[in-house]
Amino acid sequence: MLPPEIPDFSQESVTKVKAELAETGLPTAPAVFLEGPLTVFNAIRPRILSEVVDRTRQELTAAPIEMLLTSALYAERQRLKRTRANVFTQKRKKDDKKLWSGIQSGLLQSAAIVDRKPMLDQVLAHYADEIGGRFDPAVYRFATHALPVGFDWLLNAASLNKFNPWKMTERVESRLNILGEVDLLRKLSNKGTILLVPTHQSNIDSIMIGYIIYLMGLPPFAYGAGLNLFSNPALSFFMRRLGAYTVDRQKSSQIYKHTLKNYSTRILREGIHSIFFPGGGRSRSGAIESKLKLGLLGTALEAQVNNLQEGRNKPNVYIVPMTTSFHFVLEASSLIEDYLLESGKDRFLVMQDESSEFNKIVSFFWKLFKAQSGVTVRVGKPLDIFGNFVDEQGESVGPNGTRIDPKLWLTTRGQLGFEPRRDMEYTRELGSRLVERFHRENTVLTSHLVAFSFFETLRKHYPDLDLYRFLRISLAQRSLPYEAFLAEAKHQHEKVMSASDRGQMYVSEDLLTTDTELWVEDGIRNLGLMHGASVLKVKDGVIFTEDMSLLYYYRNRLAGYGLSHLSDSRPGMPGQHDEKGFLE
Amino acid sequence: MTKKDFWNKSTIAVMGGGSWGTALAQIAAQNCGEVRVWVRDDDQAREMNSNRVNPDYLPDLKLNPKIKALSSLERVFEPKVQAVIWALPSSVCREQARNLAHYFKGDEVILHATKGIEQGSLKRISEILTEELPTRRIGVISGPNLADEIARGEPAGTVVASAFEEVIDAGVSLLTTSRFRVYPGHDVIGVEWAGTLKNILAISAGALDEMKMGWNSRSMMITRGLHEMVRFGVAMGANPSTFLGLAGIGDLLATCSSPLSRNYRVGQQLAQGKPIGEILKELGNTAEGVRTTETVHEFAKKNKIDMPITAAVHRLLQANVSVEQVLQDLMSRPAGDDTIT
Repeated sequence: MLPPEIPDFSQESVTKVKAELAETGLPTAPAVFLEGPLTVFNAIRPRILSEVVDRTRQELTAAPIEMLLTSALYAERQRLKRTRANVFTQKRKKDDKKLWSGIQSGLLQSAAIVDRKPMLDQVLAHYADEIGGRFDPAVYRFATHALPVGFDWLLNAASLNKFNPWKMTERVESRLNILGEVDLLRKLSNKGTILLVPTHQSNIDSIMIGYIIYLMGLPPFAYGAGLNLFSNPALSFFMRRLGAYTVDRQKSSQIYKHTLKNYSTRILREGIHSIFFPGGGRSRSGAIESKLKLGLLGTALEAQVNNLQEGRNKPNVYIVPMTTSFHFVLEASSLIEDYLLESGKDRFLVMQDESSEFNKIVSFFWKLFKAQSGVTVRVGKPLDIFGNFVDEQGESVGPNGTRIDPKLWLTTRGQLGFEPRRDMEYTRELGSRLVERFHRENTVLTSHLVAFSFFETLRKHYPDLDLYRFLRISLAQRSLPYEAFLAEAKHQHEKVMSASDRGQMYVSEDLLTTDTELWVEDGIRNLGLMHGASVLKVKDGVIFTEDMSLLYYYRNRLAGYGLSHLSDSRPGMPGQHDEKGFLE
Repeated sequence: MTKKDFWNKSTIAVMGGGSWGTALAQIAAQNCGEVRVWVRDDDQAREMNSNRVNPDYLPDLKLNPKIKALSSLERVFEPKVQAVIWALPSSVCREQARNLAHYFKGDEVILHATKGIEQGSLKRISEILTEELPTRRIGVISGPNLADEIARGEPAGTVVASAFEEVIDAGVSLLTTSRFRVYPGHDVIGVEWAGTLKNILAISAGALDEMKMGWNSRSMMITRGLHEMVRFGVAMGANPSTFLGLAGIGDLLATCSSPLSRNYRVGQQLAQGKPIGEILKELGNTAEGVRTTETVHEFAKKNKIDMPITAAVHRLLQANVSVEQVLQDLMSRPAGDDTIT
């Protein structure tokens, strides 16, 4: 743990920092990032944490405390047995063990001797403290300036193959295509609280999105990041202080889940813009998220109802979808193996595991820059907590040009307030609209389309094999005559272009061509960038793949649109929606 | 304020002054403060308000004094209404919803009593209303509810289904009387599809009756028809047990037994050998089941849902085949398992 710094929030200090920044001439973003509630977060942190504890305690009163504690104790002991601590997580594990041993010995005595309530409070405080992030403007300043410089160095070194720090011709922003409703997002960030909900593919995402938020000139956002990411001290240092709070998916107890939910709600209510990955984690299959964590999404509605009840100004929470499109994903191999293992069970044979390390993040950017390749990020149309569109004034727009007053939608039998069943239904609808938005706001890259076309064409030749057997066909079977493939690719391209004309998806600039070979070659080149084996290769007039699982992973980015010839109709498959077809 | 108190004092709008709209208005009037029935025709409104009857649809029903018929939409929605009962024909559902969208405030509860789907898109009424109206709290009323029997005060029951608890509460509070029972449900998809699919079977029931077939054939048709309804419903996301309820088998039995239903009459006349064009011209009003058969059959074929009776009705409606021929073909199919699959 790093020693706590005492940040200086005086007006003078902020003005001074702003002036310093103006002088450096570093990547130009308005210096608004020092404003916004997150920058004074440390001052309000104790109050927020104690409110989270109070609220969670209230919520939990329905169940007997004894039961809550014993089931949490059981889950935690299991978890502690499973997890192995490294040098950086030793202390945390030791603290956890100490806490739970105490709880255990307490529970062994009768409730008359050892009161259960303080025990629950102890657990709540422990969780809240672990979840609650710290925000440090000084580090934020450093990070957002050091990172781009670092990125720029890396970029120049990688793409020019020689490195001259005084003669940098490339800027990292040039490799990030930020598209979509950036202006609307900026406007709304002053009219209410933003909940940014990106699609999630890679551990790179949180760092990259944090940086993109900075580039867009927005104040820092709070976000929940997996506790495992905090085990690397370098990452942890930045994440902690960039507004990250921790989410530990290993902790399954009711107490923890409630605390986490209340923490994120409380942050939103404070008006702190936040980021949730609504899919829960990275997409294992590579497909766009089609199932969302509604509990997490529901906190937006909860925060807004609270704000309305307390009569706060700017009570609205805006849900802003964001899609990221990569030509290659760092962890693709292990993600897809994970996915196939879970969905295929015994039908899928496990291969070697791939570990993800800090170096990989550097290596990702290195390869990204070296390949002259970029990342496309699209800010989607903002939604209200019900899934309606929001206009520039921050007002909800209903069907047929009607205005929606969220207060009335949250009023039942004349009373404004919570109504669990109703709110759950609103959130469910928000979730399904978000899934639709994700698909529509997705930018299809050449690599996705090439992978999709090849996979689908090849699949047609093996109609009798189920997916798992298909993925194991021999190298010799995984090839197609290049000319024939081009004809199929052209056909898929036409379908995708017409879907994009209808507003059902976006395509990258590289796809805006009628020259099939041109985009196909671009796609093949980009697909092969990251991985040991080539995902697709052309040789002697034959196109083939060396890695079926990876091919499947990249192909899945176009699943769910109903473009597939053959649907993988088993429930839970990325292709299951192909049958219904997201596209009309 | 308890739920019941709230609804007792509420104002309800009923969109549509047909027989079912009028019967529902009459029931709701017993449980709320005021009912405003929207009718398109000025004369009809005047007649209902002065003579206290709805002459074209339910001439024998003496209207409750709390019922007011209005032809102006402004006056239907102002002052504020708490619930809207939607009893307009399915064919005009979307168009009317578009016209009415601006009258809704957002905190109303909507109960729709329309059976049918949007042809082509296969969208259910509640989906259309959600797409067109600035409110989401929507539910469906469906069951064996022949309007004139209910108007006569014969005991009957219905299902009110919604994803929103408060919509179900509204339906139960507003529509329960000593002669009318309301059963709550949550499976909106199932209830809406059941109310639609039974129209196909009503056609085949009419044809069978016209052929003077007895109870055995009739029961087989209804039971096997129910299987088809379940298969289709499940494919659309319904809960199969919904089809065992009032909105499923309940409504199916009533529809297949009542010679008043238009779909039943279509079946009868098909069996007499009349071409479908002529029948529809004669009935004046499009029978819902005719177009539903087409849409459902097409979807089922595409998605490999086994629906032999629907396919048979479709054949009857399409080509010049006799009921006897179609029956023969149905009877010579290999029989599958009798449990619902």
